[in-house]
Amino acid sequence: MSSSPSETEAAVETEPQAHPLQEYADEVAGAVGGTAEVQFDTIKVSVSNDSWVDAHLTARDRFGLVFFSWLSAIDWSNQVEVGDPLSDEVEERLELLSALGDITEGRMVTLSTDLDPETPVIPSLVEVYAGANWHEREAHEMFGIDFLGHPNLAHLYLPDGFLGHPLRKSFPLLTREVKPWPGKVDVEAMPEKPSKDEPSTENPES
Amino acid sequence: MTIDSATMRHLSEAQVSVELETEDMTLNIGPQHPSTHGVLRLVAKIDGERAYDVQPVIGYMHRGYEKICEVRSYPQITTIVNRIDWVSGYANEIPFIVAAEKLMEVEVPPRAQYIRLVLTEMARISSHLVFMASYPLELGAATPLFFALRERERVLELLESVTGGRFHPNFNRIGGVKPAAGAGPTQKKTTQDLPSDFLSETMDAMEHMFKICDELEDLVAGNEIILARTRGVGKVPVEVAAAYGLSGPNLRASGAAFDLRKIEHYLPYDDFEFDVVTGTNGDCWDRWYCRLQEIRESAKIIQQAIDGIPSGDLQAKVPKMIKVPKGETYVRAENPKGEMGYYLVSDGNLGPYRLKIRSASFSNLSILPWALEGVLVPDIIAIMGSLDFVLGDVDR
Amino acid sequence: MIELLTDLFSNFWISLAGKLALVALMIPLIGMALGFAEIKLSAKMQARVGPYFAGGRWGWAQLIADGIKFFQKEDIIPAAADRPVFKMAPMLVLVSTVALLVVIPFGPGLIFQDLSVGIFYALAISSLSTIGILMAGWSSGNKYSLIGGLRAAGQLIAYELPLVLAVVGSVIMAGTMSMSGIVEAQIEAGFPYVIFQFVGFGIFIVAALAELTRIPFDMPIAESELVMGYLTEYSGFRFLFFFLAEFANMFTLSAIAVTLFLGGYWLPGIPESALELAGPAILLGKVFLLAFVMIWFRWTFPRFREDQLQTLAWKWLIPLALVNIAVTGILKVVL
Repeated sequence: MSSSPSETEAAVETEPQAHPLQEYADEVAGAVGGTAEVQFDTIKVSVSNDSWVDAHLTARDRFGLVFFSWLSAIDWSNQVEVGDPLSDEVEERLELLSALGDITEGRMVTLSTDLDPETPVIPSLVEVYAGANWHEREAHEMFGIDFLGHPNLAHLYLPDGFLGHPLRKSFPLLTREVKPWPGKVDVEAMPEKPSKDEPSTENPES
Repeated sequence: MTIDSATMRHLSEAQVSVELETEDMTLNIGPQHPSTHGVLRLVAKIDGERAYDVQPVIGYMHRGYEKICEVRSYPQITTIVNRIDWVSGYANEIPFIVAAEKLMEVEVPPRAQYIRLVLTEMARISSHLVFMASYPLELGAATPLFFALRERERVLELLESVTGGRFHPNFNRIGGVKPAAGAGPTQKKTTQDLPSDFLSETMDAMEHMFKICDELEDLVAGNEIILARTRGVGKVPVEVAAAYGLSGPNLRASGAAFDLRKIEHYLPYDDFEFDVVTGTNGDCWDRWYCRLQEIRESAKIIQQAIDGIPSGDLQAKVPKMIKVPKGETYVRAENPKGEMGYYLVSDGNLGPYRLKIRSASFSNLSILPWALEGVLVPDIIAIMGSLDFVLGDVDR
Repeated sequence: MIELLTDLFSNFWISLAGKLALVALMIPLIGMALGFAEIKLSAKMQARVGPYFAGGRWGWAQLIADGIKFFQKEDIIPAAADRPVFKMAPMLVLVSTVALLVVIPFGPGLIFQDLSVGIFYALAISSLSTIGILMAGWSSGNKYSLIGGLRAAGQLIAYELPLVLAVVGSVIMAGTMSMSGIVEAQIEAGFPYVIFQFVGFGIFIVAALAELTRIPFDMPIAESELVMGYLTEYSGFRFLFFFLAEFANMFTLSAIAVTLFLGGYWLPGIPESALELAGPAILLGKVFLLAFVMIWFRWTFPRFREDQLQTLAWKWLIPLALVNIAVTGILKVVL
């Protein structure tokens, strides 16, 4: 009975500077040449496009972050087809994220880099982390990011010949086009009860 | 005329190469196949019984949850995340709900946390029991299936008695858990709690679970053929496992004593004593054995949690209209299949701006091309099955 | 009346027709009895109930209903199949089973045809089903079937040898290859040969399981790998033929094992005069005992891998069987 549950939940700090992870985050950021930010126990180290692969090599070899958790992107866009628009104007960009961890102490670092949404190109991480293969394929079809040096950038989920990149904010959610959400139109009208005068409702085609 | 041995060998080889000119066969395993756990498809190039270049083809079950979540409000998303890994639906809710609570800075009452923990461990037991059932079947033994599923039924019934759902409980609310409908001693809404006999029955069920583990161990681990089929098959060294993002029992079977329950404090696991089960070789056998041991550890955790379950509220004070403040966070949890995490980007609206779902099976499955290089056809199934994936968890 | 019957059956053709009818009747009966035993026993072993409703009590009519269902099904032949071969394969497998029944002695004189080379004939015929399986796998035009068929061929070749070698010990002890002769030799000796031929008996059972392609040697079917192996494309009554052949084969191979090692229709303590009536019952009892063991194996073990199966055959069973023959031969000469 080491700690009460309330303590474990209360690890949230309002001041990023005071966060216990800040020191480690700064150390990683210094080594990979980026800037660190700790938000809600999540370390995000932003690096430039050019040092993307090198940053991963450093993180893997110097900090023992050998565990490749995931890779994905966020489409920061002021014009959204689905969901709520952002409250503040942002710089339009694709933020590529990759989460790395170690398998001893439980440290976790998210590396991030900004890509141009028009022509997002970045070297592939497959040589550094073999597991990046599928994640990059996913990011490729979902966001249209090109990973240079990837052995097989084929579609992973979507059928061949699928047009567009579904997780981009500019990609409409087609079901929502047909039926807006939420709203009263979402409730389908109940089928009308067959009245005694019209016994032929069972087969309207005939 | 004499022919020296070198020429002779050369001649015979020439003859053999002419006679045995073979062609590789491309075998499509799935998407409709008895042991692909749904709709996985493997395209295997096989030369006789040996397989080369096995490429998994996924996406038959892609439901676009990451996109759908962008147009859903937070309470609605718990319904969706239930359906990612449906074998342990309850456990999927936890990291998402914890991520939202983290951004909202809500403190969850201890009793609700304990209930979450007990139900998560039950989901783990039921998920591992499905593996205990399906894995011997993939090796050809049908009988363990029935023993494991019979016990899983008991766990699912307990889960259902609290949540009302066997597979998709949708029981977590931001700031706590949903009061069990009509199950408490009184009908007052504030005091509706766990079903009255839930705690004692769970205690009994867990006691029984130890016996079942022994029985399964006798039935499966005592079987020479199972050992011959799994020992040394599909070895994954720990470095390779980590690079591919293998997590959970698959990673621990390779020897890494890495359990997010000990590291991340998403639920009060620190209050309990349990061991992190590790294997040594990272072969199919270790992966099977790790899961069996984890059932025992989970049963231990549940018993301790029920012994020490605090009383109190089930729900923290949260606004009626749940809006999550601006922020980004990644919360990961030790799910039965491995690390499940949500990268939640909120902009202060009713729903997330972006929700990245990191599912364990996706990464676990991505090792297949590496692990299946040059193995025998029966081992394809043995190795694939030992990774314990669910297609819903792969495709999301 | 009896004279008339005797007269009637002394006619070669009529007696042949009678025997044929009997054999034709026996195959489905045996298949159903063993099939039902398998269904019910497996249910018992797996904490299930098994068939429950068909026919009222215990679902005894389940397999009859299944059989009728099979005949009602559409006869599907894949477009890519080699039609004549595809159609012939189930017949060939079933015929080889029927032909095996001919040499099994059900009692003193109760044998369809007492060949002087009975056991030799039985082993030769039993490998005929391999060809049928290979034909099925090849002609289906399906990759799973092809792999299944080839696995079956490799497996049956590997296990034909230990099967034959395991028998030799008993043949040496009896000094005859006639099936009824071997039983009579055991009656004369006063003990079933399994007492001295336990190695041969064990090898025979293992090899018979492999011949039957039953778990733990069911790689040609291997549901979790090959869907249904060489049976993948079969449906309806053609599938039923394979199904019947499997169980009838289980019966005949068990019966051969019983004849060679367990004293056949004879049981110590039963007077020889009573054997004429009790013989078939004793034989059936022993056969069902062996069949039970086979069913028990099936629902307990997983399957071997192809290479492990070959290793077992070539590196263990065959040398063991050869040693067994040598020891038996030496003892026969010395004693």
